Amino acid sequence: MRVLLIEDFEPLARSLAQGLREAGYAVDASADGEEGLALAESSPYDAILLDLMIPKLDGLTVLRRLRARGAATAVIVMTARDQVPDRVAGLDLGADDYLPKPFAFEELLARLRAVIRRRYQAPSNLVRVADLEIDAAGRAVQRGGRAIALSALEYALLEYLAMRRGQVVTRAEIREHVYDFAAEPASNVVDVYVGYLRKKIDDGHPVRLIHTHRGLGYSLGEAP
Amino acid sequence: MTRSLRLRLTLAVVIVLAAVLATFAVVVHLVLEQALVRQLDVRLAGDAAAVAGMAEDDPAGPEFEYESLPQFERQVRPSYFEAWLDGTRVFARSPTLGAHDLPTLGARPGAPAFADVTLPDGRPGRAIALRQPLRIEDGPPGAGPSTRLVTVVVAEGTEEVRETLATMVRWLWALALGAFAAAAAAAYLIVARGLGPVRAVAAQIERLDADELDRPLPTASLPEEIEPVVRKLNELLARLAASFARERRFTADVSHELRTPLAALRTTLEVAAAQDRPAAAYRAAIRDATALATQTQALVANLLMLARLDARQVEVETREVGLRALVDDCWRPFEGEAAARRLRFANEIAADTTVATDPDKLRIVIANLLSNAAAYTAADGSIAARDGDGRTLLEIVDSGPRIPDELLPRLFDRFSRGDAARSGGVHCGIGLALVRGVCAILGLEAAAENAADGSVCFRITGAVRGRARPSPAMSRAS
Repeated sequence: MRVLLIEDFEPLARSLAQGLREAGYAVDASADGEEGLALAESSPYDAILLDLMIPKLDGLTVLRRLRARGAATAVIVMTARDQVPDRVAGLDLGADDYLPKPFAFEELLARLRAVIRRRYQAPSNLVRVADLEIDAAGRAVQRGGRAIALSALEYALLEYLAMRRGQVVTRAEIREHVYDFAAEPASNVVDVYVGYLRKKIDDGHPVRLIHTHRGLGYSLGEAP
Repeated sequence: MTRSLRLRLTLAVVIVLAAVLATFAVVVHLVLEQALVRQLDVRLAGDAAAVAGMAEDDPAGPEFEYESLPQFERQVRPSYFEAWLDGTRVFARSPTLGAHDLPTLGARPGAPAFADVTLPDGRPGRAIALRQPLRIEDGPPGAGPSTRLVTVVVAEGTEEVRETLATMVRWLWALALGAFAAAAAAAYLIVARGLGPVRAVAAQIERLDADELDRPLPTASLPEEIEPVVRKLNELLARLAASFARERRFTADVSHELRTPLAALRTTLEVAAAQDRPAAAYRAAIRDATALATQTQALVANLLMLARLDARQVEVETREVGLRALVDDCWRPFEGEAAARRLRFANEIAADTTVATDPDKLRIVIANLLSNAAAYTAADGSIAARDGDGRTLLEIVDSGPRIPDELLPRLFDRFSRGDAARSGGVHCGIGLALVRGVCAILGLEAAAENAADGSVCFRITGAVRGRARPSPAMSRAS
């Protein structure tokens, strides 16, 4: 899942970016409103973490412009202003959630999972595809009751495919939404990781869940 | 003295009313008494004339022919008369007089005399003395009056007069008291009614709470005596509301400024602890956390100082201090930050410049000005600390960018800053507010201006600046 972080206080932005990356997110960071808005408009982020008091363009304006252009990206507003009118203003402008500073990093992760789940219309953190179970909260995967150990990148790829289960997902979409593929120079990196994933998920099972659609992309599901 | 306006006003009205009514009653009393006495005197004069008429001059000699008059004969409260011939010989006496004499009162012909007397039976009374020529019985027409004189004194008890007077006075005082009571009650009620608007305003003030201080009390229907009070009160309320709003904004800003570094501190620590890492990674996280804690500490120290300034709890200990060394000391914490942005710093203050001030407080001023310069001066720029001349203590000059004009007038206000979003705890609009506050207790003034060449100058004025004194002969002060 790709997340845009717009926060101008450098120590906070640095820690947040590190923590989010370690939690399996692809993170782009910006320290001002103008750059943040430009980034938000150029890539399809799964979620935006938005500070309100940022230079050049304040957070509420960024949010308003984003929504005015019809962007449906989930937005979590993080701010040190926690008065009720501030929260109401943020939510009314189309924020999906509001997190007053300082917050527990775990809570930020939980809220992030929740807004991304809503975006992909998943009712809970637990996604089932046939006998495959993906627990987004614990980042645990098992198939047929047996736990499967995945690398961070493999997990991120599987989670994205699971969120869009039953749909064909293009390689470009995978590059956009899954951590660091964009940074990898090799053009076939997506195919390589799908191969790793297929080995861990499907090998030894009669029903294959990861399907290749020639010339289009991949899908996760019982039927191709 | 009671503090109730209603009681005071009523009391004043009642006292005036009592004085007026008492004076009125006394005057009426005196007038009545006089009128009654005059009435008595007229009767006495009539009686005296009647008695004098009983004496006549006759060719056979003067004689007194007593004709019975009831008042001189009754047993209860009798009247008395006595008549003398030529002022010496007793001519006649009323039957009631017995062997007593009445005083002659020194009456002269044609001028009757009146006096209050004690009657022979001990009663208080009033007497008239009449002295006139004897009547001539059957005298020839045109004959003159007799040459002989009769003196008549008639005396009568005054108890009737006094009883009448007492009755009238009783009524008079009863009426006066009644009028007084009625007027006092009316005054009390009228004053209470008149003070109604005051009570209404008081009730409105009582209902005020801190959240609606910006809503003025209505003045349209108020009497013109109370309107100015309420208008002044409204002005006070407006000032209070503004001050509360400032206070609320300040609290919100403070909480914002404290929460931001705290959020970074917490996230840094939580992320660091989320998984196993090499020692170097932990050390880096701890370094970050320490820097954040230091930053927060500086912010808290500034806030506390600001709060103490507000509470007037700051004491000033003045001594002579070398300015150049102080500036060097203050610059040290910003050396790293300045070097990272390639800022040049020059301390151009003369080595022997001294200031008589509280060095700890002046340190806050200089440190905040340098911190501000280090943060806001554009990369590759320069910062200089200079001696001023005249009343100027020192100047901190940086190479810009210039302070936006709209910011300049409120530069030293709390939480005004270059970019509304510039956060992180230290340059959050507290530093310059603190500079102004500390300067005020040191008797200094802080000012900022954009120079024509694009540089920015912060100027501290007002302290007694001098030169270090190697020997008394060289000492001079400007």
